[in-house]
Amino acid sequence: MPDTPTSDFSAQSPLHSHRYRQRRDRLARALITAGGIGVLLAVLAIGVFLAVEVLPLFLPFSSTAPELELSALWQAQPYADGLEYRWLPYRLDEGEAAYVSLVPLAWGTLEAAAWALVLAVPLALGAAIHSSLYMSRPLRARIKPTLELMEAMPGVVLGFIAGLVLGPWVEQHLAIALTTVLLLPLGVIVLAGVRRCLPSSWRLVLSLRWASMWLIPWLIVLVWLAHWLAPLLEGWWFGGDLRLWVETQLGWDVEARNALILGLAMGFAVMPGIYALAEEALVDVPRDLSDGAQAMGATRWQTLTRVVLPVAWPGIFSAVMIGAGRAVGETMIVLMASGNTALMNGNPLDGLRSLAASIAIELPEAGPGGTHYRLLLLAALALFLFTFLVNTLAELVRTRLRRRFRMLRSDS
Amino acid sequence: MNIPGHTAVPPARSGRWRGGEGPWAWWCAMAVALSLLMLGALLVLLMSRGLANFWPASVHQLTLADGSQVIGVPVETRQRPEDAGSERRYFTANRDASGGIWRWVNVEDIRQDSAPEDLVHIKRMRWSDFLGRLVAVNIDGRRFDGELAWQRLEERLDEIRQQRQLRRELEATQIIPLIRRLESSNGPESNHDPGSNSDDVRIHQQLAELQQQARDLQSGMTGAVLILETAEGRRLEQPLEEVDTVLRPNAMSAWQKVGRWSSGVWQYLSEGPRAANTAGGVWPAIFGTVLMVILMSILVTPFGVLAAVYLNEVAHQGRLTRLVRIGVRNLAGVPSIVYGVFGLGVFVYGIGGQLDEWFFAETLPSPTFGTGGLLWASLTLALLTLPVVIVATEEGLARIPMHQREGALALGATHLEMLTRVVLPMAMPAMLTGVILAVARAAGEVAPLMLVGVAKLAPQVPLDGEFPWLHLERKFMHLGYHIYDAAFHSSDVQAALPLIYATALLLVLVILVLNLTAIFLRHYLRTRHGAFARQ
Amino acid sequence: MARSRVNEAGELMSANRNSQDADIQRTRNGAIMDFPTTETSLDIKGLTLAYDGKQALRDLTLRIPRHRVTAFIGPSGCGKSTLLRALNRLHDLNESVTRQGSIHLEGHDIHDPRVAVAELRRRVGMVFQAPNPFPMSIYDNVAFGLRLQGGLSKRRIDDVVEWALKSAALWDEVKGRLRASAWSLSGGQQQRLVIARTLAVEPEVLLLDEPASALDPISTLKIEELIGNLKPHLTLVLVTHNMQQAARVSDYTAFLHDGELVEYGSTDTLFTHPRLRRTENYITGRMVG
Repeated sequence: MPDTPTSDFSAQSPLHSHRYRQRRDRLARALITAGGIGVLLAVLAIGVFLAVEVLPLFLPFSSTAPELELSALWQAQPYADGLEYRWLPYRLDEGEAAYVSLVPLAWGTLEAAAWALVLAVPLALGAAIHSSLYMSRPLRARIKPTLELMEAMPGVVLGFIAGLVLGPWVEQHLAIALTTVLLLPLGVIVLAGVRRCLPSSWRLVLSLRWASMWLIPWLIVLVWLAHWLAPLLEGWWFGGDLRLWVETQLGWDVEARNALILGLAMGFAVMPGIYALAEEALVDVPRDLSDGAQAMGATRWQTLTRVVLPVAWPGIFSAVMIGAGRAVGETMIVLMASGNTALMNGNPLDGLRSLAASIAIELPEAGPGGTHYRLLLLAALALFLFTFLVNTLAELVRTRLRRRFRMLRSDS
Repeated sequence: MNIPGHTAVPPARSGRWRGGEGPWAWWCAMAVALSLLMLGALLVLLMSRGLANFWPASVHQLTLADGSQVIGVPVETRQRPEDAGSERRYFTANRDASGGIWRWVNVEDIRQDSAPEDLVHIKRMRWSDFLGRLVAVNIDGRRFDGELAWQRLEERLDEIRQQRQLRRELEATQIIPLIRRLESSNGPESNHDPGSNSDDVRIHQQLAELQQQARDLQSGMTGAVLILETAEGRRLEQPLEEVDTVLRPNAMSAWQKVGRWSSGVWQYLSEGPRAANTAGGVWPAIFGTVLMVILMSILVTPFGVLAAVYLNEVAHQGRLTRLVRIGVRNLAGVPSIVYGVFGLGVFVYGIGGQLDEWFFAETLPSPTFGTGGLLWASLTLALLTLPVVIVATEEGLARIPMHQREGALALGATHLEMLTRVVLPMAMPAMLTGVILAVARAAGEVAPLMLVGVAKLAPQVPLDGEFPWLHLERKFMHLGYHIYDAAFHSSDVQAALPLIYATALLLVLVILVLNLTAIFLRHYLRTRHGAFARQ
Repeated sequence: MARSRVNEAGELMSANRNSQDADIQRTRNGAIMDFPTTETSLDIKGLTLAYDGKQALRDLTLRIPRHRVTAFIGPSGCGKSTLLRALNRLHDLNESVTRQGSIHLEGHDIHDPRVAVAELRRRVGMVFQAPNPFPMSIYDNVAFGLRLQGGLSKRRIDDVVEWALKSAALWDEVKGRLRASAWSLSGGQQQRLVIARTLAVEPEVLLLDEPASALDPISTLKIEELIGNLKPHLTLVLVTHNMQQAARVSDYTAFLHDGELVEYGSTDTLFTHPRLRRTENYITGRMVG
């Protein structure tokens, strides 16, 4: 042992020295606590602020809204001929009878979210199943971040593409759009059937593991085919003009900016989020379970439907919930691709107006403290509560599922 | 094989998909392929349209069946709704001569379609573009024809450009600050005579001199006039000082076109918008976006890290902490517009209104901080992205192995010293990832900004040579809002479309680069923590 | 007094054989204590620790001699690591811990509210089961604790780093690459680096929590050799799973089971003539550990 440069190992120092470092530590801890709680409170203050601002609407003797009957918010009011739900808040400022029913806005919000989910959920779940079950590992490592990039697409760009490019195009080419939707799944099955008849060397090249890549050119061919088939289809079934048929036979208005286009754009936006969470839920299912089923001779698809999905469904459910929360609150896409007409009908080819879009358009013009302002804040509060509840539910389901997986793993 | 006492196992159901995975497996594969295809199609669309906008397209001259002449750039061809024929849209420009800038032509009516080299495409400050022929140039009363006209025109255009640049600088660096000083020294409420103050008098004199200088520069640009001829043979006189560029696209070689293309891209990135945001560049919007995002990250980083450190390192890990954690996580899912409402109600009307009453009472009722501005927008977005940073930092902190902390404590480090010297440096990549993700989210977020501070047009960037240099109360332009505004509030969307594509492409590129950085950083982080795990 | 009760228990196998050791006592919960006669460094009295209401240590009384190696042995979950962590109050990190009883370091109560925990931990150093060098250079790892103290010149830090690395028998292997990352070292080297890092702040007590369990035999040997070399200067407390290691390295051994001290005495006695059958069963491998 070399000589120590110090005098002695057991140089006695009183245990309670170093007051300065200790005090600094205590001070820093106090500051972090204060700052941390402050920041957290500030973040959580959003709900409190909205509630406080909205409250005067519901106080019986408040001065802000003497002309407003609360029931007008959710009941139909006499309008023109008959009872209708109307959102015409600008009449408030003119002192006229108020048509401030939030019902059409809520309807529009939910309709848009529903269409978004109709398009996003099958895509996201299909993609999650494929990438967790079939896809080759190296490909999966590339695909996942790519789909993450998809989520990062700004809403304003998607809204622009949907509202100004895709919308007018689909309005002109309804038949092609319809044919494409029908042809894609059919064409893929045909290709899968053709593949089975090919020699095995070809089948190795065109394996299911890489299907997501080599299907892309085939999909492009199918879209091109749809262009060619559409006039035929239109001629056979719809008397030559699908749009006319829709307008006369179904009695639907066809708008360039409609709920379907909106759903497509919003589906594009929420799909990656649902995909990521659903895939996580599927991958988290303990391997022993699926291995056991496959060892008994089940195909991977049978394993999925009979073993994996029943275990993973809470995770998938929470993924869909989180997607729904996002779709309900999405603003720019709705603003740009929906036409912003407060209609209440189930026609997917007509426009709509959502809560979020109304807030974005009207709030800058509504003076602070007025009834219109408070009504819009009520809309914001509704959005806040809805998304918060949906997300909390999803989070709880997810944590419970994780705990279950952990138990399953520790058992095995 | 027969086992006594067991009935034979029925043979496997023979179906078309026996041995295969069935149609659903293929549809799942299609879901991935379709998503990728949609993403790719979107990017390709933005790329091609956004970049093609700057390419000098060749100009066509048509002779129609009725003998009339059309000069224009073909834009799109479509089937006529009425019958089987098709029609083509031409960009014919010349709003001053013909009223509109588009013309639909039936393809069958075209008798002759040529691209003569002498057709010119002029980008002008007003009346949008001109398409037609250059007849002559009149410079200070002397008339030049033919090739000579071209030479003189280009020389003169260069001079004018330089003078315009000089004037712009003069205005930005000297005249506007002087006017600001005048405004601030006698606001609308003050009632004293503007001439009574000797300081004011001096400023007024200075201002008059500078404005004279500017007028001189302006008049130095005049004097040259282009004599132009439209397709119909009408003559126009176009003062050269209102011309931005003059091209003969049909006479240009491919290399010249590439050069023109790149200078077009550069102009787009470096200049301000013209013609109600439907033409010109997006420099103020780029600047505004970047400045706002920088301010936001300066605000969000310390607060986010502070909250994460508190939650993960200091707070008692009980039921309450768990609830708060879920709450914070969920706030990331609250719609951005709700944050915008909060920003408007609390920051703009609440704090901003109060600040105005205390410090800017003399300018009321016109608000200073009581209206949307750079500061409030950054704060709102900081609040919006706070959960992202908190969650990412917390994940980084939680991933640091316990034995690293214990190692530091066992050496006699206090809690604070352990945090600052061991834990935080190790969590640095996670924090960076969080901040980059926050920045990527903030850069694409438009809805809350509509409530708390973007402007349709704010050519003055909020950063200049005037004290206090950074003007937090000013409104600013934003790329995302620029897209929305140009797409929905311009009189002619078709004319604005190319520029919207370019802006959308720019925004997407910025966000993609930021996201890719975050992805790589996270990858790096994971591999490094893989090393932790092996320890 | 004590002896008679031991006989009643019927466990004591050779109570009279060591009767010349006047120090044999039986504690309240029936453990055999053979108190060392050297000076005491750490004095543990009636220590009871509970996590979330679950008792991890029960009424433990123990004196750890100065400048000797004391080993804690026992099956996993017996509380030996918990006891070790109690000695430098590392269990403070866990808020749900409740404690009764006291620990004195050189006569000072370590739970005295005036005690600076950081200073206590400097004086009672600790080396963990898995080597845990910080993600910094070798030099910075060793200088870490010194820099916390503050007020040391660069030259002095250089000296101490060199001395500490020499003390930990690592200097010759790393002197050429002090600026290299500590994670580039092998597992055994990393563990010796951690020991050097701890020595650099000049502790009086060094707690070793299974320091060699993650290492190969050669590295283990080096660590054991190092422990022997440090003994004249430091009080060492070693937790180990490895019976041979305890027998090779330590002067005194405490056998813990189920949070209680079963038998404590000089290593030679404990391993060659255990007084209680439980101890014998454990050290001869008849008790599943």
